[in-house]
Amino acid sequence: MKAITDALRTRAGAVAAIVLAAVLVLAVTGPFLAPYDALKNSADILQPPSAQHWFGTDYLGRDVLSRVLAGAPASVFTAFEAVAIGLVIGVVPGITSVYLGRAYEWITLRIMDGLIALPFLIFAIAVAALLGNAVHQAMVAVGILLAPSFYRITRAAALSHAGAQYVTAAQLFGASTWRVLRTHVWPKIVPTLVVTTANATASALLIVSSLTFLGIGVVPPEPTWGGIVAGDLGYLAQRPYGPVFPSLFIMATVGALNLLADAIRDAGGDRGRARTLMRGARRVRLT
Amino acid sequence: MTALDLRDRAAPPSAAPASSRPGPAALLLRAAAALSRGLFIAVPVMLVSTFITFMLGGLTEQDPASVVLGDSATPADVQRMREAFGLDRPLLLRYVTWLWNALHGDLGASWFTKIPVAQSIAERLPVSLSVAAGALLIAVVLGGVFGTLAAVRQGGLLDRTVTVVTSVLATVPGFVAAVALITVFALIVPVLPAGGWAPPSAGLGTWASFLLLPSLALSLDAAADVARQLRTGLAGTLHENYIVGARMRGLPGRRVVLVHALRNGAGPAVAVLGMHVPRLIGGAVITETVFALPGIGELTKSAALSGDVPVVQGALLVTIAVVLVSSAIVNVLLVKLRPAARREL
Repeated sequence: MKAITDALRTRAGAVAAIVLAAVLVLAVTGPFLAPYDALKNSADILQPPSAQHWFGTDYLGRDVLSRVLAGAPASVFTAFEAVAIGLVIGVVPGITSVYLGRAYEWITLRIMDGLIALPFLIFAIAVAALLGNAVHQAMVAVGILLAPSFYRITRAAALSHAGAQYVTAAQLFGASTWRVLRTHVWPKIVPTLVVTTANATASALLIVSSLTFLGIGVVPPEPTWGGIVAGDLGYLAQRPYGPVFPSLFIMATVGALNLLADAIRDAGGDRGRARTLMRGARRVRLT
Repeated sequence: MTALDLRDRAAPPSAAPASSRPGPAALLLRAAAALSRGLFIAVPVMLVSTFITFMLGGLTEQDPASVVLGDSATPADVQRMREAFGLDRPLLLRYVTWLWNALHGDLGASWFTKIPVAQSIAERLPVSLSVAAGALLIAVVLGGVFGTLAAVRQGGLLDRTVTVVTSVLATVPGFVAAVALITVFALIVPVLPAGGWAPPSAGLGTWASFLLLPSLALSLDAAADVARQLRTGLAGTLHENYIVGARMRGLPGRRVVLVHALRNGAGPAVAVLGMHVPRLIGGAVITETVFALPGIGELTKSAALSGDVPVVQGALLVTIAVVLVSSAIVNVLLVKLRPAARREL
């Protein structure tokens, strides 16, 4: 916990937190702030940015600012959904794999290895399309694919603390496994977990925007940040700057999440970044 | 690391006598053995991931019998069709049969077009592989050059620029990079085609011109990661005692950086590159869509959207196989680069 409050006191951490808070506020209030109806066509098509239309209008004359604002909830909260699913199905087996015996450990390890080998985006597309073209199915798939990184991180953290002397001491005093987990292991895992969650949310946002860009799990007139870019694609000759506005929102959110993750990692004094990456690669290397 | 350094000192490559080193054939054989060991370990992983892939077909509500036959089909027709597709048999049995046939190169046929899945994949795999290989090459060159330069000029202007650029690149969604490249290189300065594909038989120059933008768009993410990891890894290595020792012995700076430091500092970068390989192959669907490339990702996407389960399963299986083989290669490469890495395996 201290690492997080420390991180917010650094300049990078504060900037990231402010940007994230702004994005969250936008995601909640965006549809109400929109100056125009995001779905209403008008005769002023492909207008450049002006006082009336800050971001200009698209090929159907819809106000781009309104579309970006109205698309904020669908673009941001779906990513949270995927990360929440990944957290649950990654962290629980990650911690328990250290305590519930060799067979369980072996099975969870193999399953997570198998998940890593699945190609991310294509698998999400296949799941979303074959199990009904809906964004929630896609998010379940993304969550499942995010799970191995949570599994790996929590398992590594749990492993390094499970053998510590104070844990053995607690066990000798008669503490139950549950108590050891709750009071000794869990607090040590939390900072790492927050960093991983921030990074995972950043990648989930990128995947959600990619999926909506491809039109997976969206009903066409409904605006999403990825979908707005896809709509601009045919009109690059008239409005080459068109994709910039929605892209900036995606990039700012992703950048803030990455910045926050770095700030927390630095504040936690966890110099193990290269190590974690090596560890990750080891899993990819399938051993 | 000390052991490696000692060996390097004892037999510098420039003065290596041919007799003390194994011949190229033996080296190749050893690499092949290491590779097959890596692939053998991948068997359970392959089973898990292919089973998940196959389950997709089992879980889908797309019933090919009614999809293919349309609304006017009688229940008896549907039943006959289900038998023809083998859908009346238990799921596990179907999985085993599917995997067994796949090992013999038979991935079944599309439900709609009846074209063998293996054939459509064989047509498209070269496109995806050449874009992925191009992207890998660009990522290694860009990431390698800028990562090394940033590490050598630690704290300098170049180092800070590389840090900022790589952090920004990490936030750019793949489709934005692709669209930006099209806008700049095909619309504002029209030097390259905005999309489409030409096979190498149409002339290598044409082929390369169609290949360049998609590969670049696909590689940016990987290049940024490689540069960042290489910078971190090398920066740490350059402060090691044996680097100072090599400098003191009067070895030229270029040799110290490129031979002594790079070999030890490149581990994380190569590992990160290995993590990017699945994304270069499986994540290319965005690039293929934006640049209108007839690749395997595009095949999977359109098949999934139309509910053509055998095509999706086959394409995913081939993608997984390519991913596993390339991770095994990265594996061997890592051990070759830094024998100490074997202990971490």
